Amino acid sequence: MKLLFTALIAGAIFASPAWAASGTMIKDDELRQGAMASAASNGQVKKGATVEVLARKGGWTQVVSGGVTGWVRILSVKTSASNAGGTALGLLQMGTARRDPSRVVAVAGVRGLNEEELRNTRYNATELTRMDQYISSRSDAEQFARSAGLRGIQVAYIDTAKQPKQEESSPAGAGATESSSVGGGFSF
Amino acid sequence: MNRNYRFICLFIGMLSINTAQAGDFDAMLKGLLKSKIAPASPTQPTNSAEKPLAHLFKAAVGGDNISEEEEARIGQQWAGNLLGAAPLVKDDNLQRYVNRVGRWVALQSERADLTWRFGVIESEDLNAFAAPGGYIFLTKGLYRKLKNEAELAGVLGHEIGHVIRKHHLKVEQKSHLWAAAGGALSRKFKNESDVVQNLIGNGAEAFARGLDKSAEYEADRIGVVLSARAGYDAYALPAVLAEIGHVAKSDKSVSLLFKTHPHPEDRLGQLSEAVGDKLDGLPEGQSGAMRFYRLR
Repeated sequence: MKLLFTALIAGAIFASPAWAASGTMIKDDELRQGAMASAASNGQVKKGATVEVLARKGGWTQVVSGGVTGWVRILSVKTSASNAGGTALGLLQMGTARRDPSRVVAVAGVRGLNEEELRNTRYNATELTRMDQYISSRSDAEQFARSAGLRGIQVAYIDTAKQPKQEESSPAGAGATESSSVGGGFSF
Repeated sequence: MNRNYRFICLFIGMLSINTAQAGDFDAMLKGLLKSKIAPASPTQPTNSAEKPLAHLFKAAVGGDNISEEEEARIGQQWAGNLLGAAPLVKDDNLQRYVNRVGRWVALQSERADLTWRFGVIESEDLNAFAAPGGYIFLTKGLYRKLKNEAELAGVLGHEIGHVIRKHHLKVEQKSHLWAAAGGALSRKFKNESDVVQNLIGNGAEAFARGLDKSAEYEADRIGVVLSARAGYDAYALPAVLAEIGHVAKSDKSVSLLFKTHPHPEDRLGQLSEAVGDKLDGLPEGQSGAMRFYRLR
């Protein structure tokens, strides 16, 4: 088993240059010398430019464009075949995943979920009841998070420019304040 | 326009039927609809150019003021129907795990105390669904694509976004109140479930039709923020989008997803524009790769 795993990893490493680290800029960005907005710029990369993706640090990813190396925001780059700014581990996992032949078989025998199946469905009360046994209470979920060292932090909702600034809601649901504004809005 | 007014008349006619004469389904409908109509009429000044009936109708269908109970009832109906098409994956540990991650993410929202339910359903498609009231599903096919807990949190966060902003209700109220109004008068319903079904849809249409693009973009922004609040890597949802974007458009497993959602590339573009420098100060979140529950 261990041997197989090692073999898969080795395969992924050798195969990686073909697909692992190339990306395309989806917006213009500065090639910064460090992974922060205040870092000095080495120049610009334009939307559509092909880049080589080297590393990731938080919301930043290190790329090479036209021989120049620099850090850009991770959301400025769309990677060609793997996780945007994925870690080495992520890339390796991708490598093995793509080469897993059982996966291809699974997809070939698909049980789809198309419109017709959805329209011809029949209400399944048994499954719905089954769902209830898995409900996680607030305290259960908090305990689960704590056990993994996850801590809630304050982050404001991101609204698009045309929307009025929204009130910041406190994490962990301290208040049950209902937001009334809907970003984007619907046009009927 | 004439047709619209005829429907409004039917609609109002239905509301004025005496409960005792008209039978159970009318009482049911009245109960469901009353709360939407009552608050709007006394407070909202009528535009003089607008016919009173039209005003009343608008109040009925335009409302954000559906009760939590009604919302849960709709969600239950839709969820039961979705489970009819694709049952839960028979893996208790998986389902429990997904509920814990989902609830932890939902706790970061302004609707922390809804009864949130999460489920992985038997389908090789890549898709996820939300129904009003806090029912959230993702397919086994999509789950398999995920690489870590943060990605799961991001996907669930997107769906939680639809629920907390009541995206489905805004669409459903419009299309189904018309049908219900007509149907109640023609007495074609056999029982309460029929009435509810007709009033709120069976969910299938909603899942097959999808939401407005802007609702999807908003849910992406919410997914990113909620998972960041929960302590996860905020960029995990974009990573999932990028991954799904690599699936060929002709692949059957994404046909419904791509029909009902903007292409992942457009979603990434929108997200990129919206986020800009807003997450610059964010501490690095967890990926939860080690704990991630892997499908057997």
